[in-house]
Amino acid sequence: MMAIRELKVCLLGDTGVGKSSIVCRFVQDHFDHNISPTIGASFMTKTVPCGNELHKFLIWDTAGQERFHSLAPMYYRGSAAAVIVYDITKQDSFYTLKKWVKELKEHGPENIVMAIAGNKCDLSDIREVPLKDAKEYAESIGAIVVETSAKNAINIEELFQGISRQIPPLDPHENGNNGTIKVEKPTMQASRRCC
Amino acid sequence: MCNPEEAALLRLEEVFSATLAHVNSLVLQPLLPAAPDPSDPWGRECLRLLQQLHKSSQQLWEVTEESLHSLQERLRYPDSTGLESLLLLRGADRVLQAHIEYIESYTSCMVVQAFQKAAKRRSEYWRGQRKALRQLLSGVSSEGSVGASLGQALHQPLAHHVQQYVLLLLSLGDTIGEHHPTRELVVNAVTLFGNLQSFMKQELDQAVATQALWHTLRGRLRDVLCTPAHRLLQDSQDVPVTVAPLRAERVLLFDDALVLLQGHNVHTFDLKLVWVDPGQDGCTFHLLTPEEEFSFCAKDSQGQAVWQWKVTWAVHQALHGKKDFPVLGAGLEPSQPPDCRCAEYTFQAEGRLCQATYEGEWCRGRPHGKGTLKWPDGRNHVGNFCQGLEHGFGIRLLPQASEDKFDCYKCHWREGSMCGYGICEYSTDEVYKGYFQEGLRHGFGVLESGPQAPQPFRYTGHWERGQRSGYGIEEDGDRGERYIGMWQAGQRHGPGVMVTQAGVCYQGTFQADKTVGPGILLSEDDSLYEGTFTRDLTLMGKGKVTFPNGFTLEGSFGSGAGRGLHTQGVLDTAALPPDPSSTCKRQLGVGAFPVESRWQGVYSPFRDFVCAGCPRDLQEALLGFDVQSSRELRRSQDYLSCERTHPEDSVGSMEDILEELLQHREPKALQLYLRKALSNSLHPLGKLLRTLMLTFQATYAGVGANKHLQELAQEEVKQHAQELWAAYRGLLRVALERKGQALEEDEDTETRDLQVHGLVLPLMLPSFYSELFTLYLLLHEREDSFYSQGIANLSLFPDTQLLEFLDVQKHLWPLKDLTLTSNQRYSLVRDKCFLSATECLQKIMTTVDPREKLEVLERTYGEIEGTVSRVLGREYKLPMDDLLPLLIYVVSRARIQHLGAEIHLIRDMMDPNHTGGLYDFLLTALESCYEHIQKEDMRLHRLPGHWHSRELW
Repeated sequence: MMAIRELKVCLLGDTGVGKSSIVCRFVQDHFDHNISPTIGASFMTKTVPCGNELHKFLIWDTAGQERFHSLAPMYYRGSAAAVIVYDITKQDSFYTLKKWVKELKEHGPENIVMAIAGNKCDLSDIREVPLKDAKEYAESIGAIVVETSAKNAINIEELFQGISRQIPPLDPHENGNNGTIKVEKPTMQASRRCC
Repeated sequence: MCNPEEAALLRLEEVFSATLAHVNSLVLQPLLPAAPDPSDPWGRECLRLLQQLHKSSQQLWEVTEESLHSLQERLRYPDSTGLESLLLLRGADRVLQAHIEYIESYTSCMVVQAFQKAAKRRSEYWRGQRKALRQLLSGVSSEGSVGASLGQALHQPLAHHVQQYVLLLLSLGDTIGEHHPTRELVVNAVTLFGNLQSFMKQELDQAVATQALWHTLRGRLRDVLCTPAHRLLQDSQDVPVTVAPLRAERVLLFDDALVLLQGHNVHTFDLKLVWVDPGQDGCTFHLLTPEEEFSFCAKDSQGQAVWQWKVTWAVHQALHGKKDFPVLGAGLEPSQPPDCRCAEYTFQAEGRLCQATYEGEWCRGRPHGKGTLKWPDGRNHVGNFCQGLEHGFGIRLLPQASEDKFDCYKCHWREGSMCGYGICEYSTDEVYKGYFQEGLRHGFGVLESGPQAPQPFRYTGHWERGQRSGYGIEEDGDRGERYIGMWQAGQRHGPGVMVTQAGVCYQGTFQADKTVGPGILLSEDDSLYEGTFTRDLTLMGKGKVTFPNGFTLEGSFGSGAGRGLHTQGVLDTAALPPDPSSTCKRQLGVGAFPVESRWQGVYSPFRDFVCAGCPRDLQEALLGFDVQSSRELRRSQDYLSCERTHPEDSVGSMEDILEELLQHREPKALQLYLRKALSNSLHPLGKLLRTLMLTFQATYAGVGANKHLQELAQEEVKQHAQELWAAYRGLLRVALERKGQALEEDEDTETRDLQVHGLVLPLMLPSFYSELFTLYLLLHEREDSFYSQGIANLSLFPDTQLLEFLDVQKHLWPLKDLTLTSNQRYSLVRDKCFLSATECLQKIMTTVDPREKLEVLERTYGEIEGTVSRVLGREYKLPMDDLLPLLIYVVSRARIQHLGAEIHLIRDMMDPNHTGGLYDFLLTALESCYEHIQKEDMRLHRLPGHWHSRELW
């Protein structure tokens, strides 16, 4: 049996940028025996192998409306990683992304892994955010950056693989804040699909 | 056909009857008036004995007449009257008894020389009757004294008569042959009368020996030892024996007592309380008595055998209260007197039992079993004893100086001291319920003042050698204070928290009941005082005050003339409002009293019980009394006093409990079993929970209902859940070991947490919920107030306007659910949208089980999603952009009171394994709704103005 690390991942970004679509695509792809129950597209889980460990992502969606921004700390509290999503066809969503990054830097968990996802890359013909801008910004803050398409399943897997590689190894002498060690037997469960 | 022996018996009875009548008229009748002077004590005794002899003589004559009559009937009607009709055969026991009573009366008179004394008073008369007496005494020398002749006249005919009985009955047995139906009866009668002969001789020998003893004793010794009922059985002057450690000059064995003479001292030991212990070598044996032990050493083994046999036999007879017939050398071994006896004895030796009287069961010289001890000073103990000491359950009364007042201890004892659980009701009306050790309060216990006490108090906590020590809670009813903290030698000592009726809280360090060093004080308005405090919790010396608005005052403080606090310092009005966790939400005591060690005094007895293998006799001593009400405890007291059978059925047998454990190990069955066990006040787990409830209420109810103790309380509840699970596992291990099995290896942390949070905590939370939830209410009172305002304001909106106000996407509105009346419009419908989700969420208040509350959240989400899918006509997975506004709508319609307290209680009590998971997410979503509804624009938004209506129109 492999050790399972549970990793809480928080989704941040404007409404309509496709936060939950990215995760739905991630969860539904690649048949897996260990899918846990979800709350629609708001809470989802998926376990993937990473080196000698299994990483079980506990993925929390957040409401992107401006009026709900003050509630975000409750959601990213204790997260091992944050996926901050913008829409490449909307410059405003990239500005919002920068605000989220700033907040995480100031108030988020220490050592949180940040991943930037430029979604809707299948609409590059009406792009408003150049890829170069995103890469430069990501590099400046030490974050992972990929452009994704939930619709076409582009770079979804790569996004989460990048997060796994960035997660610091667990100190064997203590339970880190980034997750807990559990030994779990795989169980067969019916696969639930989402559109 | 009659036998010749029957005719001979007839003549014998005729002669004996006539002789008895003659003796009565010639000897007994004249003796009575001649009895010594009745005014003299000895004279009165002689008269009484002579009267008794006369009476028994009458009875003997009557039974002889009856026997004579039966013989006459037999001879007159031999064909119709069987041999068995003879009284000597059919009623041999009655004949025997009459003879025994006569001989006992006679020997008593003999011992006190009643005949000689009586004869002296009328010597002339008896001298004149000498010739007549001689006729009764055939073959006896005429040189004897008148007294001796009188004695002979009263005894010799009887002896001769019984001898003839034996001879004739023997002959009769031979005559009728072995096959006669009555032969067995005849043989039995021969045996009985033969034994009677031996008994009579034995009695006479003892009487002679006793009488001889009287002559050898003088003065006080004679008065003490010489009583008519005493019979000397053995004298060390006849068969020498030495006694150690006491150096007795003479040893006298009477039929009711053993007497050791040592100079002028007389040591008397009641034979009912003498135990014979055969020695190892052939010349020595030991005697045990309540207060002393002796070694008896004879010159040779024969002497040792005589003494040991005589003492054993005498003890046996003393215990049975009657004399048997066996004599030394008859070859019949007396049955050993039992080790366990019932008797009463008053202790004389110096020591704790001096002058105390014990009545009850003994074993080998010591109180053992059930009994009662009473001291002259009024002390009283009823209960179980073991090897001379109080052991097991016992009730002791200790009289107090004030009249008719006493302390009453109902307690378990071990080796003479109170040890284990007990209840003590003091003359002051105070009551202690808890554990004792070596007679002192030790371990966990509650001491409470009486209902009418002028200065009411209650201490709930740990004791050490009779003093408060360790963690404990004291409620001072007079001052309206509660102290929560450490004690030493009966005084507050170490870290402590003081909570007052006025809502003031102090945390600091105590030393010998005084506050020392820096501390903090929080007032009800959430002002924070930091510095050093007096006993009355007034700031003294250097200190700092932080006001609720953030202003700080730092300087020197003191109580000046008059009222109020005097200070000289700097007021800083520029400071920011203080961090809530340091003032209004500050939690006291956390870390100062590690939760694992807080109530060890409650857990330890249970662990001891389990480690000992759950023995029945320790159950009440370690787990507390098996009573459901004080009335039953009183009945328990009656049971001891009245020797009634303990009502076994009222106690769940420990064997049954352990057996039942093994039958309920599967998860569902285990849950049902634990629910029953925890609510059963007779079950070990139920008792443990009950005590924990008591400690919890002592801490957090009443004055202790203070928001600054919430953290202390919630961690305590969770610790109790862990301990209860460990207690269950302990019982399970014992149950398995009794079956020769072993408990599986230790469960891992995750499994244990799952059981603690998923199984035990929900079952026990109802027992703590009232006090615990109150603390959460108080802590989140301010936020809940804002939330209530928000709910009230949002309730003013009709459904569609609220959905719009909350920015719920229009295509998700369930308008098709609405059934409009002819005059109604969508804009006027209220409390209809998402109704199933609303009603589902409201169930969160109907359970105290945190897991069930979380399941309610999950089902509520399901209802929301179901409604949305129906509206859209397809399955739709709600992202948080859509879900959160909908959830806020449902929460505002559900109107759950004190939602903040609910949320925080759930979070603290939920299984930590859920962290980051589904339930954590749902709870966070609910919490974010709660936070959102508190915002100003939720609380203060106004309804649309009148112009808006006109525009629609």
